[in-house]
Amino acid sequence: MLADLARRAVDLALGAVEAVRGARRHPPRRIRLERFGAIVQLVAPRALVFVDRAFARRLVPGATWRDPETALGDVPLSAPLEAHLQITNRCGAGCTGCYTGASSAGAPHEWGLSEWCRALDALAAAGVFHVALGGGESAALPWLGELADHARRCGIVPNLTTSGLEGLERLVAIADRFGQINVSLDGATPATYAAVRGFDGFARADAAIRALRAAKRAVGINVVVTRHNFAELDAIFAYAAARRLSEVELLRFKPSGRGARAYAELRCTDAQHRAFLPAVLAAARRHAVRVKVDCSYTPMLAHHAPDRALLAELAVYGCTGGDFLVGAKPDGRLTACSFAAPPPPAADGARPRVDALAAYWDAPGAFGEFRGWRAAAEPCASCTYLALCRGGCRVVAAHVSGSAAAPDPECPRVIDRGRVVTRLPVV
Amino acid sequence: MPRGRILAIKWGMNPNSSSLGIDVTFLLAGATALAIATPVIGALLRWRRRPRTPDAG
Repeated sequence: MLADLARRAVDLALGAVEAVRGARRHPPRRIRLERFGAIVQLVAPRALVFVDRAFARRLVPGATWRDPETALGDVPLSAPLEAHLQITNRCGAGCTGCYTGASSAGAPHEWGLSEWCRALDALAAAGVFHVALGGGESAALPWLGELADHARRCGIVPNLTTSGLEGLERLVAIADRFGQINVSLDGATPATYAAVRGFDGFARADAAIRALRAAKRAVGINVVVTRHNFAELDAIFAYAAARRLSEVELLRFKPSGRGARAYAELRCTDAQHRAFLPAVLAAARRHAVRVKVDCSYTPMLAHHAPDRALLAELAVYGCTGGDFLVGAKPDGRLTACSFAAPPPPAADGARPRVDALAAYWDAPGAFGEFRGWRAAAEPCASCTYLALCRGGCRVVAAHVSGSAAAPDPECPRVIDRGRVVTRLPVV
Repeated sequence: MPRGRILAIKWGMNPNSSSLGIDVTFLLAGATALAIATPVIGALLRWRRRPRTPDAG
């Protein structure tokens, strides 16, 4: 155990050295003023730090704000922290629950390198700190390295998710251009991987993880948690520890793309959702592996009534689509998050595009229900975690209830209130 | 000049192109660990070289 902890400490220290070296070559955006104060980026340890105006004035002497100071979360940020760019929808894997419905043919009118570089210029001008590049399988794109270089030159840190099933050799050669690379691995065994994805790609994903980890320390795994792999969470953390990975990121299954058809069969049960946080923290502690969860898990965290102040200090938020993050489709259409449909077209019929983010960001009604959580219905309206959770996942709500404004139907509190309602006598 | 305060810290970077990754590792150690880490982060921020010009407004 002590030897494991020592290894983790060495990896952390050497990872910090890697991050500092990378930042010297291409310094990332350091600070962005906000209504509440500012957001400051640290390279080692990697963090975005939200500070009030008094603190911001010490960092940026002479800084001024037009509007009165607000609390963090009272109004949308001046720009997203990160943009999730689906730079292609080409992928030959054909996973059962693929949230983008990716295929070998890709999407119509996919952008190329020049269009995505233009988008990065616009995102940098708006003040975005990070981009997460995904697909489809973006590692198969011959210009991925050039795009990552362009992001760095703009002061944006590019991060990447890959299946590890395509383009591995080329990706290993450019791995140092990315901040963090995670490989999708939806099970600790070939059988579970196959149960979730519809085919056994475990050995190839494992080979990709080993090759990338040999080239870079900031490599982790993304795990879409389903009812089939929930019982394997501990084994997944053990795998991450054995491969000396920097993190495990756990993702809730979303009814989007082909995932809409597979949702009923793959989504976790209510009992699994209630057991999620204790199970994850126990596994993270046992194997000394850092754990991240996706924003849609916030209702399942709130179920255990953690200290609200602590959650706020950790920037734990539920749906932050159209606020902390935005997405972009392969043809450049802007979305609140990667799972969401593009906002309705404007009067001229045009849909907002990611390379014109700034023009849409402050438009009245921008991002629709994604920014409408303050008007949440019960039981969210009376929930003490609403300001953090923001009503849970809009995409799951839209799929199950037909309204993106509805409470997250998989939230334990929503389920419990529903049970209470059904027990009321009919008058 | 008032020292100001840190409101929140979002740890790490999010490579996942489908959601905002939230680091919940600190929930293991609780508020005490964050109470120790926050002043260290504050000191790091103040120690770093000031930029020549603000990046944004």
